Amino acid sequence: MKRFSARILLLQVGFALAMGLVLLRAAQLQLVEGAEWARRAAAARTSRDTLPARRGTIYDRRGEPLAITQEFYHVGIAPNEATDARLGRLAARALGLPLPQLQRELRTRKWVYAYGPYTATQIAPIRNLKGVHPEGFYRRSRAGRGLAGPVVGQFAGDSGARPSGLERSLDALLTGQPGEAVYLRDQRGRRLESPQRRIREPVAGNDIWLTLDAELQDIAERALEDALRGMGAAGGDVIFLEPRSGEILAVASRQLGDDGRMTDEPTAFTTPFQPGSTAKLFTAAALLRLGRVDSTDRVSGEGGHYEMPLGDGVTFTIEDVHAEKEPLTLADAIRVSSNIAMAKFSTRLSDLEQFEALRDFGFGSPSGVEFPSESRGVLAPPERWTAFSKPSHAMGYELSVTALQLAAAYAAIANDGVLVTPTLVREVRGPDGRVLYRHRPEPVRRVMPGEVAATLRRYLRAVVSGEGGTGDKARVANFDLAGKTGTARRIVNGRYEPGGYRASFAALGPADDPQVVVVVTIDRPTKGSYYGGSVAAPVAKSMLEQALASRRIAIDRARLVKDTPPVTASPGRPRDGADDAGDADAPVQAFPWPALPARDSTPAPLQVPAVTGRDVRAAALALHRRGFRIELHGRGTVVRTDPAAGATAPAGSLVAVWTSE
Amino acid sequence: MTLRGRHYVLFWLLVFLVVAGGVAMRQAVSVDLAKRLRVLREESTTLEARRADLERRIRAARSRGVLIPEAERLGLRLPADSQITVLPLTDGDRR
Repeated sequence: MKRFSARILLLQVGFALAMGLVLLRAAQLQLVEGAEWARRAAAARTSRDTLPARRGTIYDRRGEPLAITQEFYHVGIAPNEATDARLGRLAARALGLPLPQLQRELRTRKWVYAYGPYTATQIAPIRNLKGVHPEGFYRRSRAGRGLAGPVVGQFAGDSGARPSGLERSLDALLTGQPGEAVYLRDQRGRRLESPQRRIREPVAGNDIWLTLDAELQDIAERALEDALRGMGAAGGDVIFLEPRSGEILAVASRQLGDDGRMTDEPTAFTTPFQPGSTAKLFTAAALLRLGRVDSTDRVSGEGGHYEMPLGDGVTFTIEDVHAEKEPLTLADAIRVSSNIAMAKFSTRLSDLEQFEALRDFGFGSPSGVEFPSESRGVLAPPERWTAFSKPSHAMGYELSVTALQLAAAYAAIANDGVLVTPTLVREVRGPDGRVLYRHRPEPVRRVMPGEVAATLRRYLRAVVSGEGGTGDKARVANFDLAGKTGTARRIVNGRYEPGGYRASFAALGPADDPQVVVVVTIDRPTKGSYYGGSVAAPVAKSMLEQALASRRIAIDRARLVKDTPPVTASPGRPRDGADDAGDADAPVQAFPWPALPARDSTPAPLQVPAVTGRDVRAAALALHRRGFRIELHGRGTVVRTDPAAGATAPAGSLVAVWTSE
Repeated sequence: MTLRGRHYVLFWLLVFLVVAGGVAMRQAVSVDLAKRLRVLREESTTLEARRADLERRIRAARSRGVLIPEAERLGLRLPADSQITVLPLTDGDRR
């Protein structure tokens, strides 16, 4: 009995120990490791999915999509889950697969995968059938007939392509915020039919309305393509710019690549060239602004050949295409594009004055357009100029400009002397349609008084409409064009290429109330003439003819009729794409030009931006953009300004900038 | 009537059944709603894709690349600049 009791006791102790161990283990699992096990259990039962966000759409100014993100699908089919006998037939038709092959695979395989990709429309007939598992994904694609491709650029996405263009520079605006959802799944990891719990909704990216007009873009691209083919040229650029707002309406570029094929690299922004005679106007602007020339001043045309004395026995041989024996005024020099007369007039300016005039028109600095990798062109400081530089700059040599810089500079002439930052972005709207940003004209600086700009427009009008003007082939009825031709020798590897020229034509119109600035450049035309007046000007005319004949182009025809007062645009009214479609003849200038301060009025005070620590160029750009003029002391990094950052000063007043060197 | 132990058991059992039934019903309704929501989302995606496709085809059909060759085939041509007349608008037209 005693022995039996001992056994019972032992058994009880054993049970107690076992129970104790179980309790201890339970306590360990529940209390100590509870959170971790709960997490593991949840992870085994659920899966988290990232919900991709739709990238914003890029539209033209009238709402025509240029780059869109669409949902596409790969399709998986699990034959053993299928309940509909028609699955094979329906899937073959929807996915465009051969029926016998698909049916064979459905019989022999557990999982059939059709890569596609397919649109939602294509898979609509089968997506709700049992056994069909569509896998959705977003893909970026070009819309709008591929118009403005290089400007819109490429989205890297999952393809690993190199990002470029506006897709690159506006990436932060276009990219949405991905969402997150939790799904229930079974022990084998298969997703259960359960309510999807969205922890975070995806937020689509912002939509961007560009300033480009798809119709005008189409005209520009086709006209350039036709011109290059007809002239056997190596490349060219076309730009249409709305001068008051700085909005780029169309930009097209083509350039012969190293492999002999035409590329559409956006050279209008990236590749500078010597502007030739189209730049004569900027020296003329300086001469008029500084009062060094009046309308009666004349210089001899020297019969088309001139050995210009530069001192120390050095001469500069200058030739004119049109031998002018009569003395020429500045207006005549522009009209007949006389190199000799311009070189002679340029001697009335100092090197610094001429440099500052060119710099004020924006040459040698990026224009500030949103496009990445924009070239600043080449404008050497006066201390690096030689005796040849002054007459050379007056003829449009020794400096390089991009087509965009040239268009912006002509826009300043159209704009009564105010240089405006060109832009490609007109509006940014959030995914809910709310307008987050709307472009307002950004005046950079006043380059010249309005009277000088008006005089220059008269000169330019004579180039197209006057007797002996070099731009007569651009003359368009109903559209009073004012422009300047240019023909410059090409530089290859630092030397002038024999027989290689770049023809250009820069114009604004209508001359008395400019709505548009157009720049055409044709690089190395090989068939027929190579002069700007014969090569580039007719391209501008052809494009304007097409634009005038189109109902949808952004030209306000009401303003073309001289005996009717201009239609006033309603201030600040957004140009909704849908509204525009049925309102083709409405004025396009949605935003009124901010009134320039009258001479006797007091300018509104502006806050001086903080530029300390930035290099001089960036600081100057920031201050100019805010509306100040600059007095520079030294070079290098900015250490202080007067007035200091944050202080207010009248628009157009002088801000002294001191630098580290 | 005096409540006894089995009445309490029955009461709490009923409470449990009501609560469990409520939970099950909510789950069933939410699953059904989720399915309908999914179907609606898919329909919306399909319709969006259809709209995008139709818009693309309309834009392509009215593009200059299509219209101009077609117009030329019909013997039409773009007017020269001198053949375009811009008519002045009256105040009434503007309104």
